Parts: sequence; C-alpha cells; structure tokens
Amino acid sequence: MKNLIHLSILLSVVFWLGGCEQKPVINPSGKTIKIGIIGPLSGPDDIKGKEGLRGMQFAMRMQPYLQNGDRIELVAEDDRNDPALTVQSLKNLVQKNMISAIITFSTSDPVLAMAKVADDYKTPILAAIATHADITAHNGFISQICFDDHFQGTTAALFVRDELLIDKVAVFLNPRSAYSNDLATKFESKFKSIGGEITDTIHLAEETADLSEKIKRVHNQMPELLYLPIGAKDVLRIIKEVRDLNWKPRMMGSDGLISTMLTQHKDELHLLDGMLSIDFFAHGMPVTPFGEKARDAYNDMYKGKQRVASTTYSLLGLEGYALLLDAMNRCTDPADRQCLNHQIRSTENFTGLAGKITIGPDGKAQRALCINSIQNGLSEFIVKVY
Amino acid sequence: MAEYVAAALFVYTDDTKYLIDPVQNNSARTRITAVAFEAFMQTPQAQLEGIDHVVVAGSLEVIKEILRLSMKYHFSIGIIPTEKQKDLIKFYDLPKNPTDAAELALRWDGQVIDLILCNGKIMLFKATIGRIPLLDTPAKASWIRVLADALRKFVGFKLYTFKFSTAGKQKINTAASGCMILQHSRGSFASRLMSHDHSFSDGMISMVISAPISIIAYVTLLWQALRSSKGYKKLPSSIGYIKSPQIDIEPETLFDVLIDDEDTTHTPLHCETILKAVRVNVGKSLQDEGVGAAGAGEIIDIDNLPRENELLKAKRHKRIPFFSYASEERFQDLFPALREDARINSIYLVLMVLSTMLATVGLYLNSASVIIGAMLLAPLMTPIVSLAMGILRGNIDLFKNSIGKIVIGIIIALLSSALITFLFPDKPITEEMLARLNPTLLDLGVAIISGIAAAYSKSFKEIIQSLAGVAIAVALVPPLAVAGIGIGRWDFHFFYQAYLLFSTNLVGIIIAAIFTFRVLGYSAVVRSKRSLAVVFIFLILISIPLYLSYARIVDDRVFEKSWQHERFLVNEKYLIIRNASLFRRGDKRIILMDILAREPLDRSDLNAFKKKIQANFSKKLIIRINTFYIP
Repeated sequence: MKNLIHLSILLSVVFWLGGCEQKPVINPSGKTIKIGIIGPLSGPDDIKGKEGLRGMQFAMRMQPYLQNGDRIELVAEDDRNDPALTVQSLKNLVQKNMISAIITFSTSDPVLAMAKVADDYKTPILAAIATHADITAHNGFISQICFDDHFQGTTAALFVRDELLIDKVAVFLNPRSAYSNDLATKFESKFKSIGGEITDTIHLAEETADLSEKIKRVHNQMPELLYLPIGAKDVLRIIKEVRDLNWKPRMMGSDGLISTMLTQHKDELHLLDGMLSIDFFAHGMPVTPFGEKARDAYNDMYKGKQRVASTTYSLLGLEGYALLLDAMNRCTDPADRQCLNHQIRSTENFTGLAGKITIGPDGKAQRALCINSIQNGLSEFIVKVY
Repeated sequence: MAEYVAAALFVYTDDTKYLIDPVQNNSARTRITAVAFEAFMQTPQAQLEGIDHVVVAGSLEVIKEILRLSMKYHFSIGIIPTEKQKDLIKFYDLPKNPTDAAELALRWDGQVIDLILCNGKIMLFKATIGRIPLLDTPAKASWIRVLADALRKFVGFKLYTFKFSTAGKQKINTAASGCMILQHSRGSFASRLMSHDHSFSDGMISMVISAPISIIAYVTLLWQALRSSKGYKKLPSSIGYIKSPQIDIEPETLFDVLIDDEDTTHTPLHCETILKAVRVNVGKSLQDEGVGAAGAGEIIDIDNLPRENELLKAKRHKRIPFFSYASEERFQDLFPALREDARINSIYLVLMVLSTMLATVGLYLNSASVIIGAMLLAPLMTPIVSLAMGILRGNIDLFKNSIGKIVIGIIIALLSSALITFLFPDKPITEEMLARLNPTLLDLGVAIISGIAAAYSKSFKEIIQSLAGVAIAVALVPPLAVAGIGIGRWDFHFFYQAYLLFSTNLVGIIIAAIFTFRVLGYSAVVRSKRSLAVVFIFLILISIPLYLSYARIVDDRVFEKSWQHERFLVNEKYLIIRNASLFRRGDKRIILMDILAREPLDRSDLNAFKKKIQANFSKKLIIRINTFYIP
C-alpha cells in the first residue's frame, strides 16, 4: 500500500509539472518603435478612427513590447476621412514622426488616394477597413488586413443565389463611394453570371428627394432581396420607405453596417431586425485561442465598470496591431520598413480573433467572412465563408 | 353483567387529584376512600384495613410501588391512566376516558398476571439494553425525537459480545447491538417481529436480540416490522429470540438498562418472573387472551445470531458495515456454482474458439447479426462473475481459477482471430470493426451496468436466463476478435484500441459485479481490502485513456457540427458543406464531407479547396468529399 501511495504522489507531481506553462519573460530594451495611425478621429466618420484606435490601444495593453524588448508607441493622425488629409497625414507620420509602419482606419476613397503615393514613402501600410479591391494594386506598400470587395461581392451573390435560392435582386449603391460602386458592381456581375436577375440598380444621391418613388418602382419589379452596400444612414432611409409600402423583402447589408448602427444610430437598430449582413465577425461565432485571450483581457479591463461594446473597427484594430507586431518580431530590426513590409506580405496563417489570416505578396488578405442575421441588435452568425 | 367491588381505596397523587370526584361518584356505587400516595405509603397496613381493592392513578413509579405492596398485602388493583400514559393504556388495554377507566378499575374480576423483576426493579412493559434504533421507540416520544434518537444510535452502531443464560441452564454466546425484554406482545414495535404466543401470565420472559450484519439488513428489519402487525412465524434475519422464566444477561461492556423508558439500572442484568404475582383489572381484549400455561418450555431461537467467524468480527468492535456480509453457509447454492464457473473445461475452450471465429467472420462480413450470435455463444461472462466474487470474498482459489480461465480465454480468442486474419486473403476494415476502435467512458458505463445485471442475474436462479442479454449488452468477444485482427494485420493501434475496449468491459463488469454482490450481502465476514484496492486502481488507470478518448470524441463531434456553418469560395465557385464526419486512423484524421456546388469541380478547384482547409484547420486532415450539384 505504501508503494501505491508513493506512486500516486509521484504521478500527481508529474501531472502538475506537466500542466505548468512557462511564460516567456521580455526584458525592455529601452528602444521605442513607433506605429502610425491614420483615420477619421473627427468629422462624420470619426467613429471608424476612434474605434480602431481604441482597439489598438487595447491590443497595446495586452502586448506593449516586441519580443526583443522594444516598446511600442502609437502616433495618431486625424484625416477626417478626407483623401487630401490622408495623404498629408502619411507624409507627417513618415517624415516627422519617423514611424515604422502605419495602420489606417480610413475608408476606401482616402486609402485609394494614399495608394497612389505609397511607394514614394516606402513605408508599410496596413488598411484595416478599406476593402476596395484596387487598394493593393499598383503599389508595393499597402496591404489589407480586411477581405476585399471582390471576395465580399462574389460571396454575397453566391450566398443569395445558392443558399437562399433567390432569383431576383435589386441593388442600391452610392455613386460617390468607390467602395459602394465596387461592391455593387461585383455583386451584380456575379449574380447575373449564375443566372440571377438584377431587377433594378438604384443610385442614391445624398438627399434623394424621390427615394419613395424609386422604392415603389423597385417594388413593382418584385425583387426578393435588396442588396444594400451603402452607409447606415441610407440603409435606414430605405428600410423606412419599404415599411411604408408594407413590403417585406429580404435585405442584405455590407461590412461595417452593424458597427456604424451600434455607435451612431443605436435608437434605430431595431429596424434592422431580420436583415442579413456581411462582416468580419459575428456574435456567437467560435473564436481562436487568441480571441479567447483577448476576450478575457477585455473582461478584466471592464470588471466592475460600464462595458463598452466592441465594434468591427475596434476588433480589426486589435488584430492589425497583433499582426503588425508578429511581422516586426520576424525582422531583425523592427524599424526596418523594407523588412517589415516583406514580412507583412509573407504573413501565413496568422491566428486572428476568429480564424487564420494570410497576407500574400500582393498585399491581399485571405481571411474568412461571416454572413450574419441581425437580431435584437446583434449580428447572429449564420455561415463563415473562406 | 359486570360485578364491582363494594369498597376500594383510591390512591392519587397531586397530578391525579382531579380524578377523586369521578371515582367517588362512580356508577358502580362502590364506596371509595381517597388517600394521597405519600400518606398511603406511610401507613399502608392501616389504610388497607378492611379493603382488598386499590384503585391507583399516578406515575409509573407510583403504580409500581402499589404493585409491590399488592404482592405483600394481596389486594387487587385497578388503574386509572392519565391521558399522557399512552403506553399504560396500550399495554393494559385501558379506556382513555376517566369515567370508563374508573368503571373498569372497580370491577372485582381482575386478571392474575406475572410480574417481571429486573435487578429487583419491576418491569411493566419492556427493558432495553444497548442499541436497537427505532425498535425501542418510546410510546410517547415525538417523531422528531424518535428520528434524532435513531440517528444518534446509528452513529457508532456496533456489535458487542453477549452471554445469555436461561432458567433451563442454557448458555448462549453471541454478538448483538442490543436486546429488549418484553413483558407482553401487545403494542411494542419490536413485538411485531416475533410470534404472539406469550401472555401476561405464562410465567415467561420474552427477549428479542438484535444482531444486524449491516445497516442495510437492519433497515430491512425495520421495514419488516413496519409491514407486519401480526408477528412472524419465522424470525426475520438479524433477530434472535429467547423465552424463559429467567434470563441473565452479561455483555462484555457495561450497559445502562432502561426499564419502561424511565427507570435505569445497568448490566449484568438478572430478570425473573414472579408467577401470578398480582391481580390487575385489564381491558377486555386481554381478559379474552386467558391465562397462559405456566412453566411451558423455554424457546431459544438464535439461528440468525452471529457465530464463529462472525463473532470474531464483533470482537474487533468495528462499526456495523453499511452493506451485509455473509459466511458461505448462508449461500450454499451459489458458491459451488461459482466455483464450477471458475474451472477450465473442454466446453469452455471449444465455445471460446467457436465464438471468436464466429465473431471474426461476422466482423469481416460486417454482419451485426452474426456478431450477436458470437456474443451469445461466448462463455467469458461466467468466470468474470466468479472472479468478482473471488475478489470480494478474498477467496484465493476462486480468484486464481477464474483469472486463469479468463486469461486462457483471452489468449485463445486473440490467437483464433489472428489466425483467421492471417489466412484471410482480403483484409477489409469494416464499420463493425471501426465501431470497436474508439472506446470511451460511455463504454465503461455500459460495462458497469452490465456487470450489475450479471451479478444480479447470477444471484437469483429465477432470472439466470437474463445473462444472455447481459452478454449481448457488454459484448466481450467482438472487441477481443478485433484485437486479434489487429495482431493479424500487425497493426498495433488496431490492437490497442480494441483491447482497450475489452479491458474496459472486463474491469467495468468486475467492479460492478463486486459492488452488486456486496450490496446483496455476499461479502465475506472478513473482507480482503487489498484485492479490492487493486481492482479500483485498475479502474482508475483504465479511466484515464477512456476519458481522453471521450474528450476526443466530444471534440470531434463539435468539430463535425461546426462544419455545417462553413462555406468555401474556390476559384469563384461556392461550396456548401452539408455534412462532415471525422474518422481517426492512428494519428491521421480523415474528414468525409458532403458538399453542394453549382459548377463541376476540377482538379485545380479541389487543390484550392484542400489548401484552404489545411490553412484554416489542420494540415494533417485527410479530405474525402462527395459532391452534389445544385440544379
């Protein structure tokens, strides 16, 4: 019996030791690596920049140092989502602040403007929310951490056609937004190529006086779904008009819709109930170990305090920061912009919050998107498309 | 028509003073002289001048004093109980109403009854020695007190050695938790356990001896007492019974003796009957019982009391176990059968070979019905049940024989199936084989339930045929056959997984059968704890891989389910996953998917699809797909 007791104790110790995980210790080197942030921190789109910055700041709390002990410092520039200011911000950050890399929360139009001059500054830029397919084209320094509109538009069309088995769709787009145009065009071309019918393509001006008439015209064509790659404000206007007609078509929005609604139109969020939307994340979707770690840290931070809901922008900020640090850790000198750009574009199977992210040499991200259904103000997960 | 005494003395106390008026104004027109108990005791002789009947109302102590004087001065007695004296009312069948009680007390035709003296003290109803929880419940106690008292007595419930001597010079050495001496069969909870052939005036003392071998046995005894109001012709187990004019009780330990729930003395205890000692007016039902035959023979029924080894156990002063134990004599039919089951014979060897061959062929044919046939033919269950009994009772012979029989059976099974596999030209892996390669904790659950059923069936002849069903449920031979096939294929993983399932069944059945036998009271008087410890260590050891396997299966099911939400865009082609099933072969994981697609998939699509899966899930996944096209 004595031997058995000794064996049990020995086994317990072995299991206990096996269960211990040693955390790597980072000794600060005294050096600082600067990461620039460009985004709308003021103006009508300020929520994108502010939320992105919040996500990055949270990520910095989790991971303030590189593996070599260099400390990270964030330097933010407000571009008000204005292309001219975006380019100016790029110049400021590169030339005055000597940043090593930039993460931008500006939308597609300002980032497309930046894309034209990106090679001149030879600084790696991560576009967090600008999904236009041409952002990574014609330059060697802007990479996307988000999926692009080509993937989003194609997937939306195939989901509507093959899973919802819908034949007729009406598309609404904002002609002044490159993002909206690009997404609508991609959706239309794919939907038509697989036998679907686009009953109408409606171009929305800022204050479309005759929206009611347009919706009636669309209604007469009896589309089964309205595809809405437009801003939250326009989506709300359309929903109200549709309701006035006592019409209940299915509707599908694009990425960022729920986040904008949550932060700018929370009172009207209920109007979106039942609507489909494409996004990077979803409520109730499985998360990765990194996602769990971030969630735990987030819960700790807000323990006993009023919680602030995360948005797609803040989560992309968190992911962008982590991915950038992962690339920096692979460079001997994290401040070496050429190396960093190369490493960003060699990112393979980086574990994000909800899945893997790979960035190819062309700067495009391969990551999954979620198709969600909005219910009670939450994006409920339906499917994930890789 | 009833006749009454002409004159009587009414002895009262302060508590019964209120009865003077009803007694004096009795309908029998008896002349009553009321006297306080204290005054009466000072000059009893003078008070009894010209009186030969005394009516008494007071505490038990007062009544006993009056009874003692009755023996000396030979007067008859009538008793008027108070409302609280329920035991008195019950034992003497007295009316509760004071007027009716007075009417009965003043009758002249009292019953001649015996008195029992224990260590010189009068015992009216019962005397209790040691612990007899619930059976010794006082008549006037509240149920909360009864339960609390019972719980207190169950804690540290032990058997002690006792020596009993009777008037007939019988000396009995046994062990008991306690005993109870009864004056009369009426009313007592304990009296329900014995035959009612004794009375107030048979010159005998009745004694119930409680010697439960387990808490379970004692609870059964209480249940029997609760169910029966007429008494048992045959004494329940755990109970002994002695009836004699005189009983001496000498326990090894000094015990307090509670007489009539009030008065106390201590052991050694000498109880004797004073034959026809007093005349007391009792109720009609007792008058009808008549007078018992004085000096009728002693009764000594001690078959259920501990003896030999069991007595040795009592001498160790260990607490009474929760489950019962027994000597082999108590189960004379079962043990020879178990010993026979543990012996190797030619029938066993032939059946083992045939059942394994049948199982192996059935596995290759992927035929469930053939495999079930093999399960029914398999003779492995009986030595396993014998092994369980051998371990429980620490019976080395039974243990060795049954282990030997099982080991030989396993070797035969492994060799037979391996040989068939060697000879088989084609060696397909069928679903029936795969089903036996992923044992989990759930399989252990099946084995445990089957083990309980096996032991239970073996214990009762009338349900022995159910063993066939148990054999099917637990399926011992097919996993052995699969393990043998693993040997034939030189595939260690195959062998290990199937043998793990067999070991799970084996250990599960043994543990469950031991437990069942123990609950059913088959454990030995002196148990072998070492063998039990070894089996439990085996159980823990086997639970580790089973738990890991179970956790893995849960992960796999979650993984499979998650695929229902996964879609792939491959070269602009949209792939919908309808179903996904995960199989494991060693370290390899094979995922079999049903996918829906609109367009035909070419090699480049499949390569891109594979790359996406390997990038996002696991590089080790082997992908097999069935494609269905959306019209």
